[in-house]
Amino acid sequence: MHSIFKRFREPIFVIALLAVPFAVFFVKAKKGRDLNALDRAVIFAIAPVEKVISLSAFAVIDAWYGYVALRNVREDNVQLRRENLKARQLEQQAAELRLENDRLRHLLDFVDKQAPARLMLARVVAVGASPHSHTLRIERGSDDGVVKGAPVIAPEGVVGIVSQLTGSYADVQLIVSPLSAVPAVSQRTRSRSTVKGTGDIARCKLTYALRTDDLQEEDVLVTAGGPGFFPHGLRIGRVVNVVRKPHGLFLDGEVIPAVDFSRLDEVAVVIEGASRVAAGGPAPGSVP
Amino acid sequence: MTLRTTLVLLLAIALTILESVIPHVLHLRAARPDLLLIVVLYLALRDDVMHGAALSAAAGYLSDLTSATPAFLYTFLAVLTFVVVRTAGAALRTEGGIQSAAVAFGASLGHSLLATLVFGFFTGAGLHFELAPMMWSAFGTAIAAPFVFAALRRVDASFQHGEEAPGGLR
Repeated sequence: MHSIFKRFREPIFVIALLAVPFAVFFVKAKKGRDLNALDRAVIFAIAPVEKVISLSAFAVIDAWYGYVALRNVREDNVQLRRENLKARQLEQQAAELRLENDRLRHLLDFVDKQAPARLMLARVVAVGASPHSHTLRIERGSDDGVVKGAPVIAPEGVVGIVSQLTGSYADVQLIVSPLSAVPAVSQRTRSRSTVKGTGDIARCKLTYALRTDDLQEEDVLVTAGGPGFFPHGLRIGRVVNVVRKPHGLFLDGEVIPAVDFSRLDEVAVVIEGASRVAAGGPAPGSVP
Repeated sequence: MTLRTTLVLLLAIALTILESVIPHVLHLRAARPDLLLIVVLYLALRDDVMHGAALSAAAGYLSDLTSATPAFLYTFLAVLTFVVVRTAGAALRTEGGIQSAAVAFGASLGHSLLATLVFGFFTGAGLHFELAPMMWSAFGTAIAAPFVFAALRRVDASFQHGEEAPGGLR
C-alpha cells in the first residue's frame, strides 16, 4: 500500500489539489463568500500595500496634472465661473421643483416608507486582481459599519454591492458582474425590467422588459427600489440595441452603465437600510 | 518551506498587488494582464509536479481572494491550467520573449474560456462569452509574460548557483 502511494504520489497529490478546491467551489458556488481567518490575514497584509501604492501613484499624478493645469488655469477659471452660474440656476429650479414635489406629496398623503439613506464615502484602493473579476476594493469595512450586501453608489449612478469584507476593507461586486441583477424602472415610461451583468465592463443585459413596453434607445433606467434592493431612483444606465422580436414576451436590449467603473476613485456606501438587508432577505442586486 | 518557495510566493503576492493596483491607477478597462496565470505557466513548464502544483494552487488562491468570486474557483482553475500546460509542456517552448508571449496569449484565452464556462455553469449566472475582453486580456498577458518569466528565471538562477556552492540556501 505504502509503495503504491509512493509510486503514485504525484498524481494523487495533483488530483487532490484539483478535487478539493472544485468540491468547495461546487458547494459554495451559489452562496456568498465568507472570509475565514486565513483569508482575512492575507487581505490584512495585501490591502494596506495596495492602498499605499494607489495613494502614492495618485499623489504623483495629481501633482503632475496640478502643474500642467496651471498653464491653462485662467481659461479654466472663466469656464468654471460660467458653469457655476448655470449650476446655480439649475439648483434654484431644482429647489423649486423639490418644494412643489413636497407639496404634492403632502396633498396625496404620501408616506415614504424607505428609510433615509446615510452615505459613507469610501476611497477605492484597488480593483479585482483577476482580469475576469468585476470588483473594487474600498477602504471601509465592518469596523466602519459596512455590512455585506450594502449598496454602493457614485454620483453618476449605481456601482454595486459589498460582497465580502474585513474590518477595514470591503470588496464591491460591480453591477456588470454576471452574478448581479438589479431591478430597474424606465425614467420615461416607468416600465419595469431587470439589468443583469454579463461580465463585460462596458455593458449589461436588459432582461424581463415586456415587448409591449414603449422602451426606446437612450431611455434612462433607474433603480426600482424595494426592500432588500438599491434605494429607489438611482441611475443605472441607458438602453441601447433594443430588439423587438415578432414573438415572445420580452424584448432584447443592452444597457450602457452610467458609471465608468475604470475611473472610480471614490464611492459612497449606503449604510442605512443595508442593515435591514443583512438581517433578512436577499442582498441587493443579487441573483435570487 | 524552502527559500525559493518563499520567494516565488512573495513574487506572486507582489504580482497580485500590481495586478489590482495598476489597472486602477491607469484606469485600464481592457488589456489587463493576468500576471498570476503567467506564474502558473512558468511553474508548469519549469518546476517539478508536486511543488509546482502546490504553488499554482497558492497563486490561484491569491487570485480568488482578490477577486471576490465564489470560493476556490481560481484555485481550481490554476491547478487545472498547471496540469494542462504540464501535459502539453513537451510541445511548448518559452526560451525567447516572443515564444513566452505566444504561450501566455494562448493560455490566457483558454483560461478565460474555462473560467467563463465553469463560473457560468456552476453559479447559475449563465454563459456570457465576451470575446473582446478575453482577447484584450490575453494581449495584456502576452505583453507581461516575458517580464514575469524573466523575474522567475532570475529567482531560479540564483538558486541554481546556490546549489552548486556547498551549504547554499535551499
